Amino acid sequence: MDKIININNVIKDYGQGDVIVHALRGITLSLECGEFTSMAGPSGSGKSTLLNIIGGLDKPTTGSVEVDGRDVVSMSMAQLSHLRRNRIGFIFQNYSLIPVLTAYENAEYILVLQGVSAKKRNERIMDILKEVGLDGMENRFPRELSGGQQQRVAIARAIAPEPALVLADEPTANVDSKTGGALMDLMRKLNEEKGITFLLSTHEKIVMERARRLFVLKDGLIEFDGSPKEGINIA
Amino acid sequence: MLSIRLAWRNLWRNKRRTLITLLALAVNTAVLITTFALMDGYIENAVRYATDLLTGEAQIHANEYLEDHSLYKTIDNPDEIIAKAKSHGINASPRVYGFGLLSVGNKSAGVMFEGVNPELDKQAFTLHEHLQGDGRFVSNKADKGMVLGKKLAKTLNVKIGSEIIAVVQAADGSLGTDIYTVSGILKTAGEKLDRSTAICHIDDFRELFVMENAVHEIALNSFRGVELEEIKPLLGTTIDGLEFKTWRQLNPSLSQMVDMSHVGMGIFATIFFIVAGLGVMNTMLMATYDRIREFGILKAIGTSPMAIIRDILVEAMMMSVIAICIGFVLGLATSYYLSIHGIDMSGVGGDVTFAGIAFDPIWKAVIHPASFIEPMAMMCVISVLASIYPAVIAARLKPVEAMNHV
Ligand SMILES: Nc1ncnc2c1ncn2[C@@H]1O[C@H](COP(=O)(O)OP(=O)(O)OP(=O)(O)O)[C@@H](O)[C@H]1O
Ligand SMILES: [Mg+2]
Repeated sequence: MDKIININNVIKDYGQGDVIVHALRGITLSLECGEFTSMAGPSGSGKSTLLNIIGGLDKPTTGSVEVDGRDVVSMSMAQLSHLRRNRIGFIFQNYSLIPVLTAYENAEYILVLQGVSAKKRNERIMDILKEVGLDGMENRFPRELSGGQQQRVAIARAIAPEPALVLADEPTANVDSKTGGALMDLMRKLNEEKGITFLLSTHEKIVMERARRLFVLKDGLIEFDGSPKEGINIA
Repeated sequence: MLSIRLAWRNLWRNKRRTLITLLALAVNTAVLITTFALMDGYIENAVRYATDLLTGEAQIHANEYLEDHSLYKTIDNPDEIIAKAKSHGINASPRVYGFGLLSVGNKSAGVMFEGVNPELDKQAFTLHEHLQGDGRFVSNKADKGMVLGKKLAKTLNVKIGSEIIAVVQAADGSLGTDIYTVSGILKTAGEKLDRSTAICHIDDFRELFVMENAVHEIALNSFRGVELEEIKPLLGTTIDGLEFKTWRQLNPSLSQMVDMSHVGMGIFATIFFIVAGLGVMNTMLMATYDRIREFGILKAIGTSPMAIIRDILVEAMMMSVIAICIGFVLGLATSYYLSIHGIDMSGVGGDVTFAGIAFDPIWKAVIHPASFIEPMAMMCVISVLASIYPAVIAARLKPVEAMNHV
């Protein structure tokens, strides 16, 4: 299988002079297409930093990052924007929906930018909303949805453009564990049905145990990489 | 269109802020439109008074007549010119002028005698309506009646019906003298006319000055039926060898005032545009600042900077179009009211004169659609331009930093 993510010796330092923070100290990592991987580690260990670098939202200080076969580090802003729009879905912790757009419209936004026809958009979004369990809620605004439902919209928005990779930074951090478990089941299902690769960061066991692979970051280094069963105790 | 819906809803997220900006823009537009309508009215009124009272849209004289007003520089073919003008719907009034003295008892004054053909003059000009009280204009038949300027009548201390003696040096060198009766006194009509003009029948004038058939001036007026630039070509060869001057050449100070007022309107509009632009920029900056996190998210999920700029510009465009439409209706209503009722300036300073010409103390607006379209379109363009700056700020946000913004 092809590698969707291929990272080699990535270092990320923040700040300058005396107050340098070494967020990542040399990460080498690769993900195959179709993987469902979670990333754990204490607060400040560099999880968000790594996800941002993979998503082209931030540049590494040194090291190489390839996503979907392309060198992300050397890409221009416009190229990165294009890559994110077409190949990468993002799910953030919370409140990441546009408040003035309905569930349907939030999911539709990127499809419009992609130039998908109105008819196709409609078919695809209605399907996806049904799939994420928001049947009949397409016209609700984010404020009219629960936290879990909002995250379902965020998941719908991330997968509607049919990306190859979804990056999720603590997607269940702001919902109760039951809802979190349901969200995980949903993402796992999408991964299996559509073959979309998922990489999630988390603090929670419910996320780790549902992943097929788990790696643990500590102080900007990968401390463990393997099956969730073994890693869950380290994290 | 999702982009339109997004912009529309974003516009109303902060209702009060949007309404205030909207109102300011609308009032701005309304004031601009009303001001333009008033200025157009002012200019048109001034030009109308300058031309319709007695000057005309254009005048024809013998070569160099205007330089010395010599009695002997006459037009040879007045009837031909008048007929030609008439055939194109241009009214024409032949006139003769001569200096002389008017006296009553022990009072006397130097005057400019003006002989007119009352029938033709009434068709072409409004001077015959510009009389005080129950005075009459010069009769169609020569009867030694005379119309005097307001101040001249005062100087001579005469009333309607008073007899006055005219003394002139005639064209043949002899002393011409005759007795006239004051038939009318003009209302204020500008300094020259008020102080020193005495109007009589052209035949009476010719008798007094011993000048058979002489004409010094043909004043033309179509009441704007014919474009100023077209008058001369229409007269063709009939005016060969004669001097043709439009009112703009005859009254350069008024002509300049008209041009200047257009410049003034331009400056005025520019100030308004700047104020409107700053208002829009401020509102859009605040709106952008409120939504930094959202722009960060949108950029993170792959929205291009151009798409973000577009979304903000659409929003600004909507706001300005709404405001301008409201302002347009308001401005039009006000202008319409002022075009009917006008502003009474008589309380402000009595007689209103402009470049030496007196005119109606009721200042009325004139609605010229062409005068509004441009400022309205301009206002729209300015609003969009003013939101480019906030839009670019939003478009250049770094996604991660923007998302962490609270
Ligand atoms: N923009 C920044 N400027 C300076 N330091 C930063 C910046 N972003 C992150 N850091 C630092 O880099 C380190 C890694 O941060 P990161 O957010 O990646 O951790 P994390 O694993 O996501 O933590 P959490 O579980 O709390 O989300 C931290 O020490 C953090 O303070
Ligand atoms: Mg984090």
